[in-house]
Amino acid sequence: MLRYSLKRLAQSMVTLFIIITVVFLLLRLMPEEGYFGQAYEKLDEAQREAILTSMGLRDPIHIQLLKFYKSILSGDLGTSMIYRPKVPIAEILRAKIPYSLYFGLTAVLISLVAGVSLGIIMAKSKSKIWDKLGTGYIVFINAVPAAVYYLFIQLYVTDILKLPILFKPDNPSSWILPAISMSLGGTASYAMWMRRYMVDELNKDYVRLAKAKGLKSKAIMVRHVFRNAFVPMAQYLPSTLLYTISGSIYIESLYSIPGMGGLLVDVIQRQDNTVVQALVLIYSSIGIIGLFLGDILMALFDPRINLQKKGGAR
Amino acid sequence: MGNKKINQLADGITEELTEELFEFAEFDEEEAQRAGYSNYSYWRSTWQVFIQNRVALFCLILVSLLVVFTIIQPYLPNQKLPTKIYIDEKTNMQLRNHPPDSEFWFGTNSIGQDLWSRIWSGTRTSLFIGLVVAIWEAVAGIAIGSLWGYVRVLDRPITEIYNVLDNIPVTIVLILMTYILRPSLSTIIMAMCITGWLGMARFVRNLIVIIRDREYNLASRCLGTPTRRIITRNLLPYLVSVIMLRMALAIPAAIGYEVFLTYIGLGLPVSIPSLGNLINEGRALMMVPSLRYQLIFPAVVLSVITISFYVMGNAFADAADPRNHV
Amino acid sequence: MKRVLALALALIMVLAGCAGGSQKTEETSGELEQEYRTLYSGEVTTLNYLKTATTNEFALAANFVDTLIDYDKYGVIQPCLATEWNVSDDGLVWTLKLREGVKWVTHEGQEYAEVVAQDFVDAMMYILDSKNESSTANIVYSVIKNAEKFYNQEITDFTQVGVKALDKYTLEYTLEKPTPYFLSMLNYVCFFPVNGQFLNEMGERFGTDNTSLLYNGAYILETFEPQTRRILVANESYWDKENIHIKKISQTYNKEATTLAPELLLRGEIDYADISSSLIDEWMKDPVKKDMIRPNRTGFYSYFYAFNFDPKFSEEYEPDNWRIAVNNLNFRKSMFHALDRKAAMLTAEPYDPEKRISNTITPKNFVDLDGTDYTQLGSLAKFANTDSFDPKLALEYKGKALEELQGKAKFPIKVLMPYNTSVVDWANRVQVVEQQMENLLGTDYIDIIIEPKPPTGFLAEVRRAGNYAFLECNWGPDYADPETYTDPFYPGGTYNWPELAEGYKEANGKNKYTNMVDAAKAEVIDIANRYTLFAEAEAFFIDQAFVIPYAVGGGGYSASRLNPFESQYSPFGVSAERYKGQKIMEKPMNSEEFTAELQKWEKERAEALKAAK
Repeated sequence: MLRYSLKRLAQSMVTLFIIITVVFLLLRLMPEEGYFGQAYEKLDEAQREAILTSMGLRDPIHIQLLKFYKSILSGDLGTSMIYRPKVPIAEILRAKIPYSLYFGLTAVLISLVAGVSLGIIMAKSKSKIWDKLGTGYIVFINAVPAAVYYLFIQLYVTDILKLPILFKPDNPSSWILPAISMSLGGTASYAMWMRRYMVDELNKDYVRLAKAKGLKSKAIMVRHVFRNAFVPMAQYLPSTLLYTISGSIYIESLYSIPGMGGLLVDVIQRQDNTVVQALVLIYSSIGIIGLFLGDILMALFDPRINLQKKGGAR
Repeated sequence: MGNKKINQLADGITEELTEELFEFAEFDEEEAQRAGYSNYSYWRSTWQVFIQNRVALFCLILVSLLVVFTIIQPYLPNQKLPTKIYIDEKTNMQLRNHPPDSEFWFGTNSIGQDLWSRIWSGTRTSLFIGLVVAIWEAVAGIAIGSLWGYVRVLDRPITEIYNVLDNIPVTIVLILMTYILRPSLSTIIMAMCITGWLGMARFVRNLIVIIRDREYNLASRCLGTPTRRIITRNLLPYLVSVIMLRMALAIPAAIGYEVFLTYIGLGLPVSIPSLGNLINEGRALMMVPSLRYQLIFPAVVLSVITISFYVMGNAFADAADPRNHV
Repeated sequence: MKRVLALALALIMVLAGCAGGSQKTEETSGELEQEYRTLYSGEVTTLNYLKTATTNEFALAANFVDTLIDYDKYGVIQPCLATEWNVSDDGLVWTLKLREGVKWVTHEGQEYAEVVAQDFVDAMMYILDSKNESSTANIVYSVIKNAEKFYNQEITDFTQVGVKALDKYTLEYTLEKPTPYFLSMLNYVCFFPVNGQFLNEMGERFGTDNTSLLYNGAYILETFEPQTRRILVANESYWDKENIHIKKISQTYNKEATTLAPELLLRGEIDYADISSSLIDEWMKDPVKKDMIRPNRTGFYSYFYAFNFDPKFSEEYEPDNWRIAVNNLNFRKSMFHALDRKAAMLTAEPYDPEKRISNTITPKNFVDLDGTDYTQLGSLAKFANTDSFDPKLALEYKGKALEELQGKAKFPIKVLMPYNTSVVDWANRVQVVEQQMENLLGTDYIDIIIEPKPPTGFLAEVRRAGNYAFLECNWGPDYADPETYTDPFYPGGTYNWPELAEGYKEANGKNKYTNMVDAAKAEVIDIANRYTLFAEAEAFFIDQAFVIPYAVGGGGYSASRLNPFESQYSPFGVSAERYKGQKIMEKPMNSEEFTAELQKWEKERAEALKAAK
């Protein structure tokens, strides 16, 4: 396992290198107008050239690339160009990541606990009242666009419960709604998939055997069915947890939470190349590690899974 | 508690016990032949179980009607054009935010366009996007996902390809595509297809990794079954139910994604109605009770589509399990 | 992980607390007198006022740093950091006497240094160093002697640039050529002062947050948390403290401010909200809400529909055919009179669309000649006072154009009209304009093709590239002189290249309009003559239908507890962004009060302008 892990991670470095290079080159295809924002109209040719030169965009592309590799290897993310000119990117991210992390992890925890339990209850009482209620919830969440029900919750629930509309770091009652809103979608999807896998699993012969053996229903559920049903979900768990640092664009914009949500989209649209590159670097590392950890976790949950070369499938 | 246990025990023996069952059966040649021959067909049985679920059947009919209706709607009599601006005769200006009445069934929007026809035109656009993207997702996702999961040599390369594609922000791709081409239906479909299959592929791959080393597959392999056959006969049938559920959700998900793209400003232009931009326009009016109809109508259509596909997906997934076939 | 758990626990406890009905009531406790609270959706990227040219960025700086001159609420120039000034007879050398004892303070209000003449020199040196990426450098080197050469590194000796500190309190600017409007330029960010020593200390960090900035203006930025909030407090050592009534300004960031601000205003949590055009109907119907909203004043951005004389779009839209059509005066005039600007304006301004419609390129109230508004000078008055939309005339010109173009151009003429998809109003407007004009002129005459274009590189791809036939464009003034509104149409502009129009060549090889503008530009002594010449040129430009004037910027409705007529008034520069002199009202002004105040203000303004002469 260790050798497999090391090998795979080493390979991932190459992938990471490819990703940042591709993104770097894609960014250089963006039109130059974008680097000036609204100011573009009022600048003359000499100024535009001066600004582009000073941003380093007038260097030949391979020089720019080399510079970029060098600074990354030395662990320096560089400074922002447009989003907040001259401010070190690390400083910007340091201020933002905690907010997204706190809200994201809380939301994931809530939705994991609530969603998985709901899914189990639904599967156990298939076609009965709990199943129907749960289905109703899942259907509602899936049917109404998030952008709509988030806003609805924000405007009406705050009015009814007399909670503040906007997030304030020093007022804990303003943390509740964003965290709960954020977990609603996850809860629905965990419940849906948990129920699906459980129902499929419950139909299998080994469950019948276990029942026939006279095992307690609870023991069957926990020791056998749940464990089997959770394996496919386990693969996504590390990614989900890690990706919480990217924040939620809707929730953070609505509640004024100064997190990472929408930062990537924002800096791409404003063409702040250095920040885009830094974020891509971070997010892809997370993505790669998440996929890897997911595989490991899956193998831990289900010892029959063999990730290494020998034996098993081709 | 005691009752429950007995019930559970009885679960295995579903039929009621009657006297008849304990009588001797006489040999009947015809009966014997019939028992030996099976006209069992997997998909037919699945279909039969599926239509037994009346809610799901209702949804299927509803969605079919919806699709048919969006297609024939423009050819019905008295239909208005989705982009035509109607003029108020009294003021000689656009008929702005006209509430629903007998002339404009769903009212008009802020520049006097008929919402009824815009919603159907938008549904047509969105369903088309959803369908194309979902089909592509299914085909590419399942094919690549099963190879990725089953063929070990391909595991590493596909993992890396996945990592590369998954980590290049879609926003960059979309911006560049609309910049180089122009914002249009085909651009948005293409952009969604480029990355859309990744999720499905990873999903299928995970499921296959879980079952690929089970004994029956090992046995198959020892018997020299070709890979293609193992994938199509041993692995995929096992996963039909979950794949079906995911595919059923892919269409609403694609439409939902289009709503998101509109939210961040990369969706279709307003001059091409779609559920995405109709909902986005309506969202700003949530706090305006008299205009809320502009949000409610498109949201209801979107909900109907999503709910139907969800219910159908689940019913189909249940039906796809042969153990549920009688 | 522990902290996350703690947060989760806290959340659950708070939830439980809420369910128990123990709600907090701290929100309602005593509100601070003269605190102004707003919600904003556009975060500033930098506070470095020597670099930015973006309104919402220099709007902040305007309250932190004072300028040499200022405007009062009628738009009359007032002394600020400069107490008196004079200009040499040839109009080239401006000498300004500075106010003594004005202090630079840090973000904590501690005194740092005195504001001296050298501060203005240091600022200019920074701006003219091309490495500093200043967006306003071109405005400086359009007037100051040798500044452009220094910027382009043709000279390296800064003493040759036309700015000097004669002594501690005397500042001298030397201009490239006489510039009658120079004084008004001193109100813009590129003529702000900066403390050189502090600037050096900060280096690249200058203006990245509230601590890397010095303040000599009315407010200090006490708190600066990007994408969260910022708090401005009155500067205790400000030289004109008596005129600062609002003691604290708290601005909270919210990306969805347009949706949320009206709701927050109703709940009494903020004091200002823009009421978007989609909400306006509802607010107008509700008597309580109606009493809270008033129109906004219009701005000085000018919007017009331009005919492209240098079509470079793709063959499928027949650029050559368009070139023939657009060079026909009657064709242009038929379009000119066919555009129903009110119908178009309804997409942005559903209530009272007329207030934003403009019949000239230079907006009303921009500059005046002894109390007479510029748009009322000479033949421009005729255009300024008539609506260009006239269906009868449009059809008449259509007939003439059809006759003249018979056999030369192919009908219907394809009119490519692109728009930026990120502007919702605009997307609606092009649809309205397309259908309205095609209905009036007939689809056998014109075929307007609307083309969605992404915001990415919009200007460079569409307008500058000549990739359009008929386009809504806008232009904002750079200084307080009618010349500024001729820039887009002067050779070298990138709007619609009217210099390529056929049939206007004069003896010197230039087009008539260019010559008229040149004549006006040459007049730098007699302001009356200068303005009249510009007015005549503009009248000619509109009469020959090179563009269709459409609207001015600003407008809309808002609910606000500030009185817009108390704020400083200036068409150009930063004064209009200042909170100085404003007071918070008991309740927001309503439309009737606004109209009454507006009339009163206009009357007082006319008097003030006359008195200032």
